[in-house]
Amino acid sequence: MNREYFEKMDRLIEDRLSRRTFLKYQMKGLLFLTAASSGLILPRKVLAEPLPDIAVVKGEAAKAVRAAVELLGGMKKFVKTGGKVLIKPNMSFPNPPAMATTTHPDVVCELVRMCNEAGASNILIADYPLFDTDTCLKRSGILDACGKLENTRVVGASSDRFYKDTEIKDARKMSRNGIFQEAFKVDTLISVPVAKSHTATGVSLAMKGMMGLVWDRSGMHTKELSSSIVDLCTVLKADLTVIDATRVLSTNGPRGPGKVLKEDTIIASKDMVAADAFAVSRFQWYGKRYKPAQVKYILEAHERGLGRMDIENLEVKEIQV
Amino acid sequence: MRFRTIIQFISLAAFLFLLVTVATTAVGLVSPDLYLCMDPLIVFGSAISGRVFLVSFIPAIIVVLVTIFFGRLFCGYICPMGITVDCSDRLLKLKKKKGEGMPYLYRLKYYLLFIVLGSAILGVSAVFIGSPLSLITRFYGLVIYPVITFLGKMGLDLIHPVVDHFEIYGLLYADISSPRYATIFFVLLLFIGIFAAGKINTRFWCRYLCPAGAMLALFSRFSIVKRSVSDACTKCGKCVRSCPMGAIDKNSPDNTSFKECIGCLTCRYVCPVNAIDFNIKMLKIKDNPDFVPERRAVLYSGVAGAVFASANLTGLYSVYGKPGVGSVSPKELVRPPGSRPEDDFLALCVRCGECMVACPNNALQPVWFARGVEGLFSPSLVPKRGACNPDCNNCGVACPTEAIRPLDILDRRWAKTGTARIMREMCLAWEHQKRCMVCDEVCPYSAIKFRSEPGNPVPVPEVLEERCSGCGFCEHHCPVQNQSAIYVTPMGAVRLNKGSFMDYGKSQGLNISLEHEGKKEQSGAGGYPGESYPSFEGGAPGFEADSPGFETGIDSLEQGKGELIHEDGEYDIAPGFTE
Repeated sequence: MNREYFEKMDRLIEDRLSRRTFLKYQMKGLLFLTAASSGLILPRKVLAEPLPDIAVVKGEAAKAVRAAVELLGGMKKFVKTGGKVLIKPNMSFPNPPAMATTTHPDVVCELVRMCNEAGASNILIADYPLFDTDTCLKRSGILDACGKLENTRVVGASSDRFYKDTEIKDARKMSRNGIFQEAFKVDTLISVPVAKSHTATGVSLAMKGMMGLVWDRSGMHTKELSSSIVDLCTVLKADLTVIDATRVLSTNGPRGPGKVLKEDTIIASKDMVAADAFAVSRFQWYGKRYKPAQVKYILEAHERGLGRMDIENLEVKEIQV
Repeated sequence: MRFRTIIQFISLAAFLFLLVTVATTAVGLVSPDLYLCMDPLIVFGSAISGRVFLVSFIPAIIVVLVTIFFGRLFCGYICPMGITVDCSDRLLKLKKKKGEGMPYLYRLKYYLLFIVLGSAILGVSAVFIGSPLSLITRFYGLVIYPVITFLGKMGLDLIHPVVDHFEIYGLLYADISSPRYATIFFVLLLFIGIFAAGKINTRFWCRYLCPAGAMLALFSRFSIVKRSVSDACTKCGKCVRSCPMGAIDKNSPDNTSFKECIGCLTCRYVCPVNAIDFNIKMLKIKDNPDFVPERRAVLYSGVAGAVFASANLTGLYSVYGKPGVGSVSPKELVRPPGSRPEDDFLALCVRCGECMVACPNNALQPVWFARGVEGLFSPSLVPKRGACNPDCNNCGVACPTEAIRPLDILDRRWAKTGTARIMREMCLAWEHQKRCMVCDEVCPYSAIKFRSEPGNPVPVPEVLEERCSGCGFCEHHCPVQNQSAIYVTPMGAVRLNKGSFMDYGKSQGLNISLEHEGKKEQSGAGGYPGESYPSFEGGAPGFEADSPGFETGIDSLEQGKGELIHEDGEYDIAPGFTE
């Protein structure tokens, strides 16, 4: 719980001081550049440019993932040496990757490689599939592709034994639920959802994806789905969100089959809400464009201070690889 | 170790191995219903009541032929029921209960046999009343296997804190699935009774009750391999006392009841003077001192069977004739996919439980009296427990009598088990205006249509009956507890004795497929972003119609101009399910 509290404080401060810090960094940077160019100081790191809030990279999956995380400061910002990592992709449906209902294995594998490079000691890839566990893990391609990588385990969290009954403070609707046990023991939580539509919530992205780490999902629907999702994300807050928009399921999500758009895009951010908001506004859903505030759980997350949906005020860096 | 013990061990091991491969849905080389098809009561009883003969019935023919020549070796060496009873007799240490039994009670199994046959002639299957293979399959498959897996699961739960602390990853994420079944108390109590009866006589079931044994007994009257006793016999009576079937006449130990003899060779083993042997000997029929059921007794038993059958045929849920006005079907009884029409189904189903063991989702459950006495212990689909994978036909493959037909994959999807129905007053979306749509999320056939309802801010579901295959994924995942707001009714089920389910379904206007086609209620789903998308009032499902006051300046952000790379089309392997 301590981690969450400090993070919440950090976020509040950042929100208030974003413009001021921006200017401060600019000044610092300017000084360093002058000093460096005059040969006085040779900085290892150029502090001139602040890291963007949202990194958007277009290109081939693995390269784009790497570039996106590098834009955010590199994996070392999120994974410490000897740290434990929990990666949450979508492997919830027994569908092949082409259907865009599950995260592409190339995306997940690249993240695993980057975690290993950053010195992670243990990487767990987990999801609680909606259908038969073995079939889902296999058909999504993630078990075969990523299970063999170093320090890595792919797990279908389908038994109640894996969940710990947890109280959720300041919850609006869902005051307790069983949360996947590893979530509390790891140092880094990475959310890597596939970008897809969802009949109930509009879209299924990083925040909705956290439902794969909770036991009683039925209860979330009977209480109120959007608020329950936000409640869940107060305890399952991703340190890094990487949205797999290499292909986007634009209609008939979450199960498909539906219209799959080839977008070749990776969206990364420290802020899950911002990442989700960006993905909503960037792509077409059922042939139309939508604003982030039109997704109830994003709106509520913004209002409750979990993150920012006003992406026009955020620093977005986009490149092509 | 005696030769017979080895053979029995191998036979029981093989039976259990086949059962476990069915339970774990592993593909085997040998047909899983081999043992069931060796049971002469299952084969002859079902052939008569169902008026069919299948190739898979041949094992029982072989068993009968072997019995004709060599006696009841099936009972003595192969039958898993007999072996189980032998084990329990040995564990209960019943040496004193061997030997002579109660003469009149031996007749009971013949009466039971003719009751079953008499009922079968009228088309009603009473095989389940006494078939040993049916009972033993239910015992091991629906009671023992779940108990063992459950203990394993509980074991994992108990060691979990330790495993968690020491991070033994292999065990930390291990899981054992343990199936659940209805009516297990009945099977358990029945078998406790059968085992306990060993206190009265060894092989109580085989001597007095087993109608399959009775049938084999009748065939073994003329067995050419028989027990013979030489003049060395001292009439010590040891063989009499050690015979598990009580088949040796206690007054003259050279006299054998060939019908009761199971060829176990125990008498030869224990004879202190080696006076006993088994060899080929032709006996004239009138020399045979056995009890042969009198013609009158046979007739009375047959009539009793016919009376049993008539009571079923005149019961409220009778399946006689074509279903029409006045036929009463149980409202919520959904049968497995590929089941024959109910009359043929009940005439062939031997209540063995093999389909229930075979189902990977534990969706099939035995019923009590939902279909009257005639339907006792027959299988039903219970979606709340497990749903029906579109590409799975395990139940049809496992069924020994094809009461559930084996189908090819494409045809199997058209074997509609029923139709889903939404109780709007219980639905989270319809009644409580809460975001849900889980039914739509999980439906493999895209048979749930979502739309906007005036006055309701959330999308609401409707069932497209012609697309619904009755698989039950909707009912299975519906968050409404106790009674799902969407549930499968048997209405609209397609059940055929022969022919293609697909052809029939198409002729009835059904449209069952795993792909999502443009539905005619929504404007045609074009192939490319430029063309029209399915229309949905108020925007795409799930989004708020109005965006309260935030300027997001999306026009300044680059738009995704994604080209369409994947249109929904037919997949060779169903997007979703086991190959």
